[in-house]
Amino acid sequence: MIPIVQCRGLTKTYGGKLALNQIYLNLERGRIIGLLGPNGSGKTTLIKLMNGLLRPTSGEILINGLEPGIETKRRIAYLPERTYLQPGMKVMEIVNYFRDFYPDFQVERAYDMLARLQIQPYERLKNLSKGTKEKVQLILVMSRNADLYVLDEPIAGVDPAARDYILHTIVANYNRNASVLLSTHLIADVENILDEVVFIRQGNIVLQAGTEQIRRNEGKSVDRFFREVFAC
Amino acid sequence: MLGKLIKYEWQATWKLLVPVNLLTLVTSFFTWITWRLDVKGSLAMDMAAVMILLTYVLSLFMVLIGSAVYLVWHFYTSTYLDQGYLLHTLPVDKHHIIIAKVLVSTIWIIISMFLIYVSLFLVFDSDFKDWGFWVFEVLRSIATEAYSDVGSMFTAAMGIIALIVGMFARVLKVTACISLGQLSADHKLLTSFGFFFAVQIIQQILNTIYQVAILSIINRTGEFTYDTMWEYSLITGLIYVVVFYLITWYMMEKKLNLD
Repeated sequence: MIPIVQCRGLTKTYGGKLALNQIYLNLERGRIIGLLGPNGSGKTTLIKLMNGLLRPTSGEILINGLEPGIETKRRIAYLPERTYLQPGMKVMEIVNYFRDFYPDFQVERAYDMLARLQIQPYERLKNLSKGTKEKVQLILVMSRNADLYVLDEPIAGVDPAARDYILHTIVANYNRNASVLLSTHLIADVENILDEVVFIRQGNIVLQAGTEQIRRNEGKSVDRFFREVFAC
Repeated sequence: MLGKLIKYEWQATWKLLVPVNLLTLVTSFFTWITWRLDVKGSLAMDMAAVMILLTYVLSLFMVLIGSAVYLVWHFYTSTYLDQGYLLHTLPVDKHHIIIAKVLVSTIWIIISMFLIYVSLFLVFDSDFKDWGFWVFEVLRSIATEAYSDVGSMFTAAMGIIALIVGMFARVLKVTACISLGQLSADHKLLTSFGFFFAVQIIQQILNTIYQVAILSIINRTGEFTYDTMWEYSLITGLIYVVVFYLITWYMMEKKLNLD
């Protein structure tokens, strides 16, 4: 099978500033992959390119062998780092919205997760706390049977208990034949669920390796290794 | 998917725009009562009548300008700010996104304008002619002629079509300019305004050229008829619709650049 994500000479510049520099990268199916790098390293740019929110300056990016478009958007479940839902909508309206647009959306799974968090379907999003809004977004994304889940900083800015819940939700709900790409700089929190990591620095991929391989070869945790690689 | 997009676009806008448009009807009703009661006589009653009339006029401006500003802001925030992250990751055609947004916005503007016209007729009734609103005189004369003359009926129908096409063109002008503003890395909104004023100036120049040409024809032939005025409006309106639509589509499809 072809990799779920293929980048070939992928470059993105903003004005004259280089955000991604000639990236060559393949992401395989059925794996939880950490996209790790410091702030401003190009993680979010790469994720936006996967989702068709940006266009490459040069090179190409393929999802399931296709350029980002309607077909690839059907197969990617994307959680951005910001609240992208209309604040005036009720939770149940947002669930209906996802049901209407994504054929792979599982309504029962969404309501089940909402009930476990005691989030009322008739609550308006604007009345929920920031952390609860993020959980609602995560529930919507993880209620899809996608081929690729792209989660941009899903645990940034939430308390440790919420982090545990989010990570548990990701591991418990993703389609086993799918891949999860999880962008973060909080490596210690996610290390245990990752199969593979991609280190990115200043728009360049500096490492792609299995987490077990890093622990075995380097004799240290991925978090420790990351700190050494990205030491200022 | 187009139907679903239109449904959610409508739901996103009606919560604010229904109350705003109801305001037109409420203030019209009170102004109509004041006008009919003929309460002139005491200074206090005269003052009250003037205040109600003033509130009425202000509310009409508020409804029209407020609706337009809200629709522009709604397009910008739902397409190019945070909510754009959801919109542009939906598995839908960009053409459908544009059609849904432009169609709903134009319908709202038509509703607002229609309510304002109806309101003005209700409030001022036959005295209205004296206020010198030529639009109503023209519409009234066209309507009168329409029943007796097939040619005039055609002209009236084409005039209304040209008016609607013009509204679509205005809405698309805004979407195109906001979309072009996304070319800027740091000042997207400011750049959008810049494009809007530039387009406005270009349109003014083209209109002036057309008017000068028409005047020269009148001077030469000494003849002028309103019957074909709709042709210019319709043709330019259609050209603007196509150009602004293509710009909006191109920017969304090929130059999307969400921060």
